[in-house]
Amino acid sequence: MRPAVGPASAGRAPVAALQAALAAEHAAIYGYGVAGAQLTAAARAAALRDWTLHQNARDTLTAMIASLGATPVAASAAYELPFAVHDARSARALAADMEDGVTRAYLALVALPDTSLRTFGALAMQPPAERAAYWRGTTTAFPGFPRGAFAHE
Amino acid sequence: MLRRRQVLAASATTLPLLLALDACVGPDPLSGPPPLSRDVRVLFAAIAAEGNLVHAYKRTLAAYSTLAPALTPLLAEHEAHLAQLRARVAEPPGGSPAVTASLASPGGSGGSGGSGAAGRAIPAIPGTRAAAVALLRDAEQAASAAQLRRLATVSGPLAQLFASIAASETTHVTVLDDRRLA
Repeated sequence: MRPAVGPASAGRAPVAALQAALAAEHAAIYGYGVAGAQLTAAARAAALRDWTLHQNARDTLTAMIASLGATPVAASAAYELPFAVHDARSARALAADMEDGVTRAYLALVALPDTSLRTFGALAMQPPAERAAYWRGTTTAFPGFPRGAFAHE
Repeated sequence: MLRRRQVLAASATTLPLLLALDACVGPDPLSGPPPLSRDVRVLFAAIAAEGNLVHAYKRTLAAYSTLAPALTPLLAEHEAHLAQLRARVAEPPGGSPAVTASLASPGGSGGSGGSGAAGRAIPAIPGTRAAAVALLRDAEQAASAAQLRRLATVSGPLAQLFASIAASETTHVTVLDDRRLA
Protein backbone atom coordinates (compact mmCIF):
# COMPACT_ATOMS: atom_id res chain seq x y z
CA MET A 1 0.00 0.00 0.00
CA ARG A 2 1.93 2.98 -1.24
CA PRO A 3 0.65 5.91 -3.29
CA ALA A 4 2.57 7.30 -6.22
CA VAL A 5 4.02 10.48 -4.78
CA GLY A 6 4.50 13.14 -7.41
CA PRO A 7 4.74 16.91 -7.70
CA ALA A 8 1.44 17.38 -5.85
CA SER A 9 3.00 15.76 -2.80
CA ALA A 10 6.09 17.92 -2.89
CA GLY A 11 6.47 20.53 -0.18
CA ARG A 12 7.28 20.73 3.48
CA ALA A 13 3.93 19.67 4.94
CA PRO A 14 3.67 16.26 3.22
CA VAL A 15 7.30 15.41 3.97
CA ALA A 16 6.96 16.52 7.60
CA ALA A 17 3.79 14.45 8.04
CA LEU A 18 5.40 11.39 6.44
CA GLN A 19 8.49 11.84 8.63
CA ALA A 20 6.26 12.01 11.72
CA ALA A 21 4.56 8.78 10.67
CA LEU A 22 7.95 7.16 10.13
CA ALA A 23 9.12 8.31 13.56
CA ALA A 24 5.96 6.78 15.09
CA GLU A 25 6.67 3.49 13.30
CA HIS A 26 10.26 3.51 14.63
CA ALA A 27 8.93 4.07 18.15
CA ALA A 28 6.40 1.25 17.76
CA ILE A 29 9.08 -1.17 16.58
CA TYR A 30 11.13 -0.31 19.66
CA GLY A 31 8.08 -0.50 21.92
CA TYR A 32 7.11 -3.98 20.75
CA GLY A 33 10.63 -5.12 21.56
CA VAL A 34 10.12 -3.96 25.15
CA ALA A 35 6.55 -5.27 25.44
CA GLY A 36 7.35 -8.65 23.90
CA ALA A 37 9.71 -9.51 26.74
CA GLN A 38 6.85 -9.23 29.28
CA LEU A 39 4.09 -10.98 27.35
CA THR A 40 2.92 -14.58 27.59
CA ALA A 41 3.72 -16.94 24.72
CA ALA A 42 0.42 -16.47 22.87
CA ALA A 43 0.47 -12.70 23.24
CA ARG A 44 4.14 -12.65 22.27
CA ALA A 45 3.25 -14.31 18.96
CA ALA A 46 0.71 -11.54 18.32
CA ALA A 47 3.31 -8.93 19.26
CA LEU A 48 5.79 -10.49 16.85
CA ARG A 49 3.17 -10.36 14.09
CA ASP A 50 2.51 -6.68 14.82
CA TRP A 51 6.21 -5.89 15.08
CA THR A 52 6.69 -7.30 11.57
CA LEU A 53 3.79 -5.23 10.23
CA HIS A 54 5.37 -2.08 11.65
CA GLN A 55 8.65 -2.93 9.97
CA ASN A 56 6.83 -3.26 6.64
CA ALA A 57 5.12 0.10 7.21
CA ARG A 58 8.46 1.65 8.10
CA ASP A 59 9.94 0.44 4.81
CA THR A 60 6.98 1.84 2.85
CA LEU A 61 7.32 5.27 4.47
CA THR A 62 11.08 5.29 4.02
CA ALA A 63 10.67 4.71 0.28
CA MET A 64 7.96 7.40 0.00
CA ILE A 65 10.07 10.00 1.78
CA ALA A 66 13.14 9.17 -0.29
CA SER A 67 11.12 9.48 -3.49
CA LEU A 68 10.29 13.05 -2.45
CA GLY A 69 14.00 13.85 -2.23
CA ALA A 70 14.16 13.94 1.58
CA THR A 71 16.24 11.89 3.97
CA PRO A 72 14.06 9.54 6.03
CA VAL A 73 14.31 10.16 9.74
CA ALA A 74 16.41 7.52 11.49
CA ALA A 75 15.34 5.45 14.48
CA SER A 76 16.63 6.51 17.88
CA ALA A 77 18.84 4.13 19.83
CA ALA A 78 16.30 4.19 22.68
CA TYR A 79 12.93 5.76 23.45
CA GLU A 80 11.51 7.08 26.68
CA LEU A 81 8.53 4.90 27.54
CA PRO A 82 5.28 6.60 28.61
CA PHE A 83 5.16 4.39 31.74
CA ALA A 84 7.08 1.55 33.33
CA VAL A 85 6.60 -1.85 31.70
CA HIS A 86 7.09 -4.61 34.22
CA ASP A 87 4.38 -7.19 33.56
CA ALA A 88 2.00 -8.49 30.88
CA ARG A 89 -0.67 -5.93 31.69
CA SER A 90 1.60 -2.93 31.29
CA ALA A 91 3.12 -4.54 28.19
CA ARG A 92 -0.32 -4.73 26.56
CA ALA A 93 -0.97 -1.12 27.58
CA LEU A 94 2.30 -0.09 25.97
CA ALA A 95 1.39 -1.89 22.73
CA ALA A 96 -1.97 -0.09 22.66
CA ASP A 97 -0.28 3.23 23.39
CA MET A 98 2.21 2.72 20.56
CA GLU A 99 -0.58 1.84 18.15
CA ASP A 100 -2.45 5.00 19.20
CA GLY A 101 0.65 7.03 18.35
CA VAL A 102 0.94 5.46 14.91
CA THR A 103 -2.79 5.94 14.24
CA ARG A 104 -2.51 9.60 15.21
CA ALA A 105 0.47 10.13 12.90
CA TYR A 106 -1.34 8.66 9.90
CA LEU A 107 -4.44 10.74 10.67
CA ALA A 108 -2.30 13.87 10.27
CA LEU A 109 -1.71 12.88 6.64
CA VAL A 110 -5.47 12.98 6.01
CA ALA A 111 -5.54 16.75 6.60
CA LEU A 112 -3.21 17.38 3.64
CA PRO A 113 -4.70 18.63 0.37
CA ASP A 114 -3.08 15.83 -1.68
CA THR A 115 -5.87 13.29 -2.16
CA SER A 116 -3.54 10.31 -2.67
CA LEU A 117 -1.84 11.05 0.66
CA ARG A 118 -5.24 11.52 2.30
CA THR A 119 -6.37 8.11 1.15
CA PHE A 120 -3.03 6.57 2.07
CA GLY A 121 -3.23 8.02 5.58
CA ALA A 122 -6.85 6.94 6.03
CA LEU A 123 -6.11 3.37 4.97
CA ALA A 124 -2.82 3.20 6.87
CA MET A 125 -4.46 4.24 10.15
CA GLN A 126 -6.93 1.35 10.10
CA PRO A 127 -4.56 -1.54 10.99
CA PRO A 128 -3.02 0.30 13.98
CA ALA A 129 -6.52 1.30 15.14
CA GLU A 130 -7.51 -2.38 15.04
CA ARG A 131 -4.35 -3.44 16.83
CA ALA A 132 -4.90 -0.78 19.52
CA ALA A 133 -8.39 -2.18 20.07
CA TYR A 134 -6.95 -5.71 20.26
CA TRP A 135 -4.34 -4.83 22.89
CA ARG A 136 -6.68 -2.60 24.88
CA GLY A 137 -9.61 -4.98 24.67
CA THR A 138 -12.06 -2.22 23.68
CA THR A 139 -12.79 -0.11 20.63
CA THR A 140 -12.88 3.69 20.59
CA ALA A 141 -15.22 6.05 18.74
CA PHE A 142 -12.56 8.27 17.21
CA PRO A 143 -9.25 6.48 16.54
CA GLY A 144 -6.40 8.90 15.96
CA PHE A 145 -7.94 11.74 17.96
CA PRO A 146 -6.98 12.28 21.58
CA ARG A 147 -9.46 10.80 24.04
CA GLY A 148 -12.00 13.41 25.02
CA ALA A 149 -11.29 15.49 21.91
CA PHE A 150 -15.02 15.72 21.27
CA ALA A 151 -17.56 16.92 23.77
CA HIS A 152 -20.04 14.16 22.88
CA GLU A 153 -17.68 11.27 23.65
CA MET B 1 -41.67 71.08 3.32
CA LEU B 2 -37.95 70.79 2.79
CA ARG B 3 -35.96 73.67 1.63
CA ARG B 4 -33.64 73.27 -1.36
CA ARG B 5 -30.57 73.68 0.91
CA GLN B 6 -31.79 70.85 3.20
CA VAL B 7 -32.33 68.51 0.25
CA LEU B 8 -28.84 69.18 -1.10
CA ALA B 9 -27.32 68.64 2.35
CA ALA B 10 -29.21 65.38 2.78
CA SER B 11 -28.09 64.16 -0.65
CA ALA B 12 -24.48 64.82 0.20
CA THR B 13 -24.66 62.46 3.19
CA THR B 14 -27.09 59.79 2.02
CA LEU B 15 -26.02 59.30 -1.58
CA PRO B 16 -22.69 57.67 -0.72
CA LEU B 17 -24.53 55.42 1.75
CA LEU B 18 -27.08 54.38 -0.85
CA LEU B 19 -24.33 53.69 -3.38
CA ALA B 20 -22.43 51.62 -0.82
CA LEU B 21 -25.53 49.60 0.04
CA ASP B 22 -26.17 48.99 -3.63
CA ALA B 23 -22.63 47.67 -4.04
CA CYS B 24 -23.04 45.10 -1.24
CA VAL B 25 -23.33 41.52 -2.44
CA GLY B 26 -25.66 39.73 -0.08
CA PRO B 27 -28.26 37.00 -0.27
CA ASP B 28 -31.13 37.88 -2.54
CA PRO B 29 -34.33 37.04 -0.61
CA LEU B 30 -36.14 36.38 -3.87
CA SER B 31 -33.66 33.80 -5.17
CA GLY B 32 -34.32 31.16 -2.48
CA PRO B 33 -31.81 29.65 -0.02
CA PRO B 34 -28.12 29.75 -0.99
CA PRO B 35 -26.69 26.52 -2.43
CA LEU B 36 -25.21 24.11 0.09
CA SER B 37 -21.43 23.90 0.21
CA ARG B 38 -19.78 20.65 -0.82
CA ASP B 39 -18.85 19.92 2.81
CA VAL B 40 -22.46 20.31 3.92
CA ARG B 41 -23.84 18.13 1.14
CA VAL B 42 -21.33 15.39 1.96
CA LEU B 43 -22.11 15.79 5.67
CA PHE B 44 -25.81 15.20 5.04
CA ALA B 45 -24.96 11.94 3.26
CA ALA B 46 -22.66 10.89 6.11
CA ILE B 47 -25.32 11.76 8.70
CA ALA B 48 -27.86 9.67 6.78
CA ALA B 49 -25.52 6.67 6.62
CA GLU B 50 -24.61 6.93 10.30
CA GLY B 51 -28.26 7.35 11.25
CA ASN B 52 -29.11 4.18 9.39
CA LEU B 53 -26.36 2.28 11.23
CA VAL B 54 -27.69 3.47 14.59
CA HIS B 55 -31.17 2.41 13.51
CA ALA B 56 -29.90 -1.01 12.39
CA TYR B 57 -28.15 -1.62 15.73
CA LYS B 58 -31.25 -0.65 17.69
CA ARG B 59 -33.47 -2.94 15.65
CA THR B 60 -31.01 -5.81 16.02
CA LEU B 61 -30.77 -5.28 19.78
CA ALA B 62 -34.56 -5.21 20.03
CA ALA B 63 -34.74 -8.57 18.23
CA TYR B 64 -31.74 -10.24 19.91
CA SER B 65 -31.26 -8.86 23.42
CA THR B 66 -28.54 -11.44 24.17
CA LEU B 67 -26.27 -9.50 21.81
CA ALA B 68 -26.41 -6.45 24.09
CA PRO B 69 -23.00 -6.94 25.77
CA ALA B 70 -21.27 -6.95 22.38
CA LEU B 71 -23.41 -4.49 20.46
CA THR B 72 -24.17 -1.80 23.03
CA PRO B 73 -20.61 -0.34 23.05
CA LEU B 74 -20.56 -0.29 19.25
CA LEU B 75 -23.95 1.43 19.17
CA ALA B 76 -22.66 4.04 21.62
CA GLU B 77 -19.74 4.77 19.31
CA HIS B 78 -22.06 5.19 16.33
CA GLU B 79 -24.17 7.58 18.36
CA ALA B 80 -20.99 9.54 19.12
CA HIS B 81 -20.17 9.59 15.39
CA LEU B 82 -23.64 10.84 14.59
CA ALA B 83 -23.42 13.57 17.23
CA GLN B 84 -20.09 14.78 15.85
CA LEU B 85 -21.34 14.83 12.28
CA ARG B 86 -24.50 16.67 13.27
CA ALA B 87 -22.51 19.18 15.30
CA ARG B 88 -20.85 20.32 12.07
CA VAL B 89 -24.03 21.29 10.28
CA ALA B 90 -27.16 23.17 11.29
CA GLU B 91 -29.93 20.74 10.47
CA PRO B 92 -33.44 21.92 9.71
CA PRO B 93 -36.12 21.04 12.31
CA GLY B 94 -36.95 17.34 12.13
CA GLY B 95 -33.50 16.24 11.01
CA SER B 96 -31.59 16.50 7.76
CA PRO B 97 -33.55 15.85 4.56
CA ALA B 98 -31.26 12.95 3.74
CA VAL B 99 -31.79 11.22 7.08
CA THR B 100 -35.54 11.62 7.20
CA ALA B 101 -35.95 10.48 3.59
CA SER B 102 -33.68 7.52 4.12
CA LEU B 103 -35.34 6.33 7.31
CA ALA B 104 -38.90 6.98 6.22
CA SER B 105 -38.78 5.26 2.86
CA PRO B 106 -37.58 1.68 2.32
CA GLY B 107 -36.10 2.79 -0.96
CA GLY B 108 -34.46 5.93 0.41
CA SER B 109 -31.08 6.56 -1.11
CA GLY B 110 -29.60 8.32 1.89
CA GLY B 111 -28.71 11.35 -0.17
CA SER B 112 -25.80 12.13 -2.45
CA GLY B 113 -22.16 11.81 -1.64
CA GLY B 114 -21.59 8.09 -1.77
CA SER B 115 -23.26 6.84 1.36
CA GLY B 116 -22.93 3.29 0.06
CA ALA B 117 -24.87 0.31 1.34
CA ALA B 118 -25.26 1.91 4.77
CA GLY B 119 -27.47 4.58 3.24
CA ARG B 120 -29.69 2.28 1.17
CA ALA B 121 -32.92 0.54 2.03
CA ILE B 122 -33.09 -0.95 5.50
CA PRO B 123 -33.52 -4.72 5.18
CA ALA B 124 -35.60 -6.81 7.53
CA ILE B 125 -33.93 -8.21 10.63
CA PRO B 126 -32.68 -11.72 9.73
CA GLY B 127 -34.25 -14.74 11.37
CA THR B 128 -31.10 -15.92 13.12
CA ARG B 129 -28.66 -14.22 15.47
CA ALA B 130 -25.70 -15.13 13.26
CA ALA B 131 -27.32 -13.66 10.17
CA ALA B 132 -28.21 -10.49 12.08
CA VAL B 133 -24.59 -10.06 13.16
CA ALA B 134 -23.40 -10.73 9.60
CA LEU B 135 -25.74 -8.04 8.30
CA LEU B 136 -24.35 -5.50 10.75
CA ARG B 137 -20.84 -6.53 9.82
CA ASP B 138 -21.53 -5.94 6.13
CA ALA B 139 -23.12 -2.59 6.92
CA GLU B 140 -20.05 -1.54 8.92
CA GLN B 141 -17.74 -2.55 6.10
CA ALA B 142 -19.80 -0.64 3.53
CA ALA B 143 -20.01 2.41 5.79
CA SER B 144 -16.24 2.45 6.30
CA ALA B 145 -15.64 2.26 2.54
CA ALA B 146 -18.15 5.07 1.95
CA GLN B 147 -16.33 7.30 4.46
CA LEU B 148 -13.12 6.87 2.45
CA ARG B 149 -14.88 7.86 -0.77
CA ARG B 150 -15.85 11.16 0.88
CA LEU B 151 -12.27 12.20 1.66
CA ALA B 152 -11.23 13.75 -1.64
CA THR B 153 -13.68 16.62 -1.86
CA VAL B 154 -14.00 17.91 1.70
CA SER B 155 -11.91 20.17 3.93
CA GLY B 156 -8.96 18.72 5.84
CA PRO B 157 -10.58 18.66 9.30
CA LEU B 158 -13.74 17.03 7.94
CA ALA B 159 -11.65 14.49 6.03
CA GLN B 160 -9.92 13.59 9.31
CA LEU B 161 -13.27 13.05 11.02
CA PHE B 162 -14.43 10.78 8.17
CA ALA B 163 -11.13 8.85 8.27
CA SER B 164 -11.38 8.37 12.02
CA ILE B 165 -14.97 7.15 11.78
CA ALA B 166 -13.93 4.80 8.96
CA ALA B 167 -11.20 3.37 11.18
CA SER B 168 -13.68 2.98 14.04
CA GLU B 169 -16.05 1.09 11.76
CA THR B 170 -13.20 -1.17 10.68
CA THR B 171 -12.60 -2.08 14.33
CA HIS B 172 -16.32 -2.87 14.60
CA VAL B 173 -16.01 -5.29 11.68
CA THR B 174 -13.34 -7.16 13.64
CA VAL B 175 -15.59 -7.31 16.72
CA LEU B 176 -18.52 -8.60 14.66
CA ASP B 177 -16.29 -11.23 13.02
CA ASP B 178 -15.95 -12.93 16.39
CA ARG B 179 -17.54 -16.36 15.99
CA ARG B 180 -18.70 -16.34 19.60
CA LEU B 181 -21.34 -13.81 18.57
CA ALA B 182 -22.98 -16.26 16.18
